Amino acid sequence: MNNRRHLIAPSLLSLLLILSLVWGYNQYKIKQQHEIALENHYQRLFFDVKKHVENVQVNLSKALLATTKEHNIVLFSQIMNEAFFAKDKLAQMPITHAESAKTEKFLTQAADYSSYLIQRHLQGEEITQEQREALNNLQANSAAFNGEISKIHENMMESTFILGRPSSREGKKVQQANEKVFQTSLVTLDKQMSKTPELIYDGPFSDQIINRKPVGLPENQVSMEEARKIAGDFFGANKVRDIQAFEEGENINEVKIPAYTFHIYPENQQKDLAVYMGVSKKGGKVVWMVNPRPVSNIKLSIKNAEEKALKYLKDKGFENMEPNYSLKYDGTILFNFAYKENEVTIYPDLIKVKVALDTGEIVGFDASAYYMNHKDRNIDSPHIDEAEARTKVKTNFNIDSTRLAIIPKGKEEILCYEFKGKYNDSDFIIYINALDGREEQILQIIKDENGTLTF
Amino acid sequence: MKKGEIILKKFIIITSLLAMAFLSIFLFYEPKNPIETASRYDLAWAPRTLYWGVQGDDVKTVQDKLLRWKYYDGTVDGVYGARTYRAVRKFQAKNGLTVDGIVGPSTAKALGMATAAAPTQGVNRKSDEYLLARTIHGEARGEPYVGKVAVAAVVLNRTRSSSFPNTIAGVVYQPLAFTAVADGQINLTPNKDSIKAARDALNGWDPTYGCLYYWNPATATSKWIWSRKVMLKIGKHWFGL
Repeated sequence: MNNRRHLIAPSLLSLLLILSLVWGYNQYKIKQQHEIALENHYQRLFFDVKKHVENVQVNLSKALLATTKEHNIVLFSQIMNEAFFAKDKLAQMPITHAESAKTEKFLTQAADYSSYLIQRHLQGEEITQEQREALNNLQANSAAFNGEISKIHENMMESTFILGRPSSREGKKVQQANEKVFQTSLVTLDKQMSKTPELIYDGPFSDQIINRKPVGLPENQVSMEEARKIAGDFFGANKVRDIQAFEEGENINEVKIPAYTFHIYPENQQKDLAVYMGVSKKGGKVVWMVNPRPVSNIKLSIKNAEEKALKYLKDKGFENMEPNYSLKYDGTILFNFAYKENEVTIYPDLIKVKVALDTGEIVGFDASAYYMNHKDRNIDSPHIDEAEARTKVKTNFNIDSTRLAIIPKGKEEILCYEFKGKYNDSDFIIYINALDGREEQILQIIKDENGTLTF
Repeated sequence: MKKGEIILKKFIIITSLLAMAFLSIFLFYEPKNPIETASRYDLAWAPRTLYWGVQGDDVKTVQDKLLRWKYYDGTVDGVYGARTYRAVRKFQAKNGLTVDGIVGPSTAKALGMATAAAPTQGVNRKSDEYLLARTIHGEARGEPYVGKVAVAAVVLNRTRSSSFPNTIAGVVYQPLAFTAVADGQINLTPNKDSIKAARDALNGWDPTYGCLYYWNPATATSKWIWSRKVMLKIGKHWFGL
């Protein structure tokens, strides 16, 4: 009796030990599986990047040699694809952004540049000497990229090389080795990329488009105090309790629209609910304003809200603004207003106004697009008439309305006939160039009960 | 002496039993990640559930419909009272729905009320909105409203930059880019403010004037980030290019 009792505790304890061993082993197995899965994933990405960049390089060399436009278009579309794939996969690898930013930029712009050249070719233009040089540069860069990747690849042949997070045991050593090989070669590559000259072209990712400066602001500079007064007056000086400026960094003047940003604390609103406003340093214009107060008790109709928004714009000195699309959300409605001149809708000059549907107060205002683009324009009269433009549109496209509009295209603006209508039960807008009859753009309109979006 | 020994043995047995019971939990324990939040979030878009006591235009719609179909005999006043309750119950009984007097999704559908309408061919912005809202919630929960919008604006600015992926998911899930992604906080359910901020950012509001980076000076460890061009401070974060 006594003897048996003696055994209970040790047997329980040993059972416990076995259980925890089983548990530990399971955990270890699971961890290993995860690591292998991750490692395989990274390996795949790496080999893919290598292949894609190789294809970019080879196709670039071919494009430099090819003489017919048709062949070039095929090659450039391949370059575009391969470069985007390479970039997409590079961005998924476990490298910090600091180490791959330039390389990613190179790949994006290679793709973007190819797409630009395709468009030029389709318009019947030849490759210029400068473009040829740019292509040469791109080719040299992709060759350098390939070289570095091959180096990494050679190192990967040694089995200790692991891309994913290394396991803890040999971890430290492998990790250090990895960092040396993998990171440093990418860093040298990145440095090399930054030395290449800027690509000059017209596409969404070109430096010229990204670094555009506003053209719609007056020339004078305003001081912080003046801006503070402008902000107060814009909101309504009698409604303001306090205005505080945001802390600025030393490079604030390098943003797109350099501005003073303010918190405005209105009278009779909760302390923690501030209104935010940005006033441009150049010209002293209110670029944006937002009042994030909650909205309950929706009372206003969309029509009423639109009237309020139009009146607001008039009060603020924006004449000839035409409401286009609206989107209802969170008790507010957001209107897109476009500038209208001589019966031509000018889409780049866009102002957004958000109206609270309880009191009709304006709770949002964004004129950054307007100030970026607004200028005195000499609008050409269309070279082709509406009927001729109509012939360029698919015949069974049911047109609801037609008008003239200016739409942005890269850094240019083009005059178009805008055809709104239905095709296969979906809503579309088709833009036909009013000067040469080219089909410039097709937008699909997505409607739901809250408003309209274009894609 | 002997008594003491027995007590000691009893003590050992009980503790080891307890320890076993406790440790065996680990054997079957699987960490539960708070990932299944999407369904809860969907409710934020669906029309709200109506029950006794609520008021509003949607109640009016219900009353109007029930009045026309002769279930309801009161006034269309937008207040969900006893009469509306009885009418809804009658309607539910007639239509083979659960008779609970609550206008939930299925009753609303039977009433023919606009449930979240299926947009044209399934194209919409909701997934972007949701992912952005989760990013805001993970990264800038404690920030003032403008700070939340600013974080979302940085994500959107990155999609338009040549040095970053060009989709929202690509930017958000880029390895080593956001701490909230690395530690799983991105999977928390976003609150109302985060959703609102995501919508504002998607509708074009950018308080950062085009910035691509932000960092918290108190926790930022990378020296590299300080070599960025510093633009302005919103809440706790510095924003830069």
